[in-house]
Amino acid sequence: MFRRFLTRFFLRFGLAAFTLLALGPVVWAVVTSLLPLSSLTARPIDLNPANITIENYILVLDSSRGLFSGLINSFIIALFTSAVGLVIGSMAAYALARLNMPNSNRILMMILATQMFPGIVIVIPLFLVMSRTRLVDTHFGLIIVYLSFILPIVIWILKGFFESVPMELERAAAVDGASPLQTFRYIVLPISLPPLFATGVFAFIEAWNEFFFAIILTRIHVKTASIAIAEFSGQYQTLYGQMLASAVLASIPVVALAIIFRRFILEGFVEGAIKA
Amino acid sequence: MMQTTNEYNRKRYRLGLWFTTPAVIVLLTVLAYPIFASLVLSFLRVRFAGQGLSFEFNGLNNYADLLRKELFREALFRSVYFTVIEVIAVIILALLVALMLNHPLGRSAFYRVVLLVPWALAPVANAVLWKWIFNANYGILNQALAGLGLIKENIIWLGSPWLALNMILLADIWKAVPFIALLMLAGLQNIPSYLYKAARLDGANVWQQFVHVTLPGLKTTLVISIVLQSIWALKVFDLIYVLTKGSPADSTILLNYLSWRETFSNLDVGYGAAIANVLFALMFMLALVYIRALRPRQIKREG
Repeated sequence: MFRRFLTRFFLRFGLAAFTLLALGPVVWAVVTSLLPLSSLTARPIDLNPANITIENYILVLDSSRGLFSGLINSFIIALFTSAVGLVIGSMAAYALARLNMPNSNRILMMILATQMFPGIVIVIPLFLVMSRTRLVDTHFGLIIVYLSFILPIVIWILKGFFESVPMELERAAAVDGASPLQTFRYIVLPISLPPLFATGVFAFIEAWNEFFFAIILTRIHVKTASIAIAEFSGQYQTLYGQMLASAVLASIPVVALAIIFRRFILEGFVEGAIKA
Repeated sequence: MMQTTNEYNRKRYRLGLWFTTPAVIVLLTVLAYPIFASLVLSFLRVRFAGQGLSFEFNGLNNYADLLRKELFREALFRSVYFTVIEVIAVIILALLVALMLNHPLGRSAFYRVVLLVPWALAPVANAVLWKWIFNANYGILNQALAGLGLIKENIIWLGSPWLALNMILLADIWKAVPFIALLMLAGLQNIPSYLYKAARLDGANVWQQFVHVTLPGLKTTLVISIVLQSIWALKVFDLIYVLTKGSPADSTILLNYLSWRETFSNLDVGYGAAIANVLFALMFMLALVYIRALRPRQIKREG
């Protein structure tokens, strides 16, 4: 009985410590983003709630700062990357799962291995080619490059799902005279909408958060939110509140998506990574 | 009947080709070609001549440079240190978190949400967040330690070489634990509960159950976690870019950052590509381990 009590005591303590450590830094960032600079630079820091203000947010969204256009660019790029990735990726995933492609297992392993290339290896030649074709600093260029890491994930997740679609369903369609394309279009796709949508959300988060390719392949016109924040934190090092406000703004959409679609991320993607 | 089946299968095969073509074209353009080109570039000397580029065969000189330059050796050493410590720390912490969340007391959805927040956070936002926490004058870390009476004067966390590297490591570990914990949680839930029951019937205590049931059951998950985390640790960039830009005295430069700087700041494209290829080789070996770890199950399921 006492042992049981002790176990429970330590567990509760551990869970509390875990929650504090995981959320503490984030909560701290949100709280301090709502305080004026004078409060942040007081010693000790002045946490008087009377000082709470959204001034930092208004200032960073000013058009001269590049964050607002950065958020829009990130949105456009993430949206198109996930949309194109879903269309191309779902077709390839279906082919690998159900259309008797030769060596489909080997192809899948290769696709998975592509996840593990360091971005720097591909970005140096891509930068040279894209400078010559004037694709640097365009939405199109960045979207294409983002497909290099989005597409493999999409194919991997959706292939697993398509395999779970009962074979009988497709056989029945074939018996009724449906061509393979019609089967895919009218039978498989409609029942796959939830996982398709959820995979799209996952791709969106990944594309939104990307930084490394963006810093190399953008200059002025398509700076993403991440780039705007990094530049801001380099230029205005001492405007702590504004720095944090921009970080919070760029994180809200993805954190919200992750929480809303947590069931899928937990069951679909995470398990997919450990089960081939 | 036979013929229609054949025809149907042929149609399926043709559709399969059509369906895989776009993905293959994209992946060839943005993955296969650049990987090949980067190998070629590493044997060239690339110069920016006016508007264009000039290429000149440079033999193995870029790779010889690697061995000669101290900064590369230091960056390689630091990358290995960073990766080893990060993997050990992340695996242990993530396993602890996963075990807690797998216990009936930790099953609530609330803790899953807690895990997802650091994971989903934009990496640059994460970097900015830690820059603020580590701030020497106003950062909460110094204030908390001073409040507890542990330090007398402010520590400049990102100001001295070894310390700065370890603070970056700390920020990266914080960001990495949640995803690996989620992987392990999924792994734990795949261990059949009758194994625990059987172990208890045999009189195994909690620790013995952990060693003889949990750890063997988690073997694949552990291998995959170690490989994925090593790869991610070798790729670290955002944190260095925002927190230190490699300072003080180039002491926080890791391989990925070095390759980027040589290529895009110093415009030494061939040398940068050579560094990138070393990184690639390291990761490729890790990727092979990952694939090997996944494979046995696949064969079992097909058979």
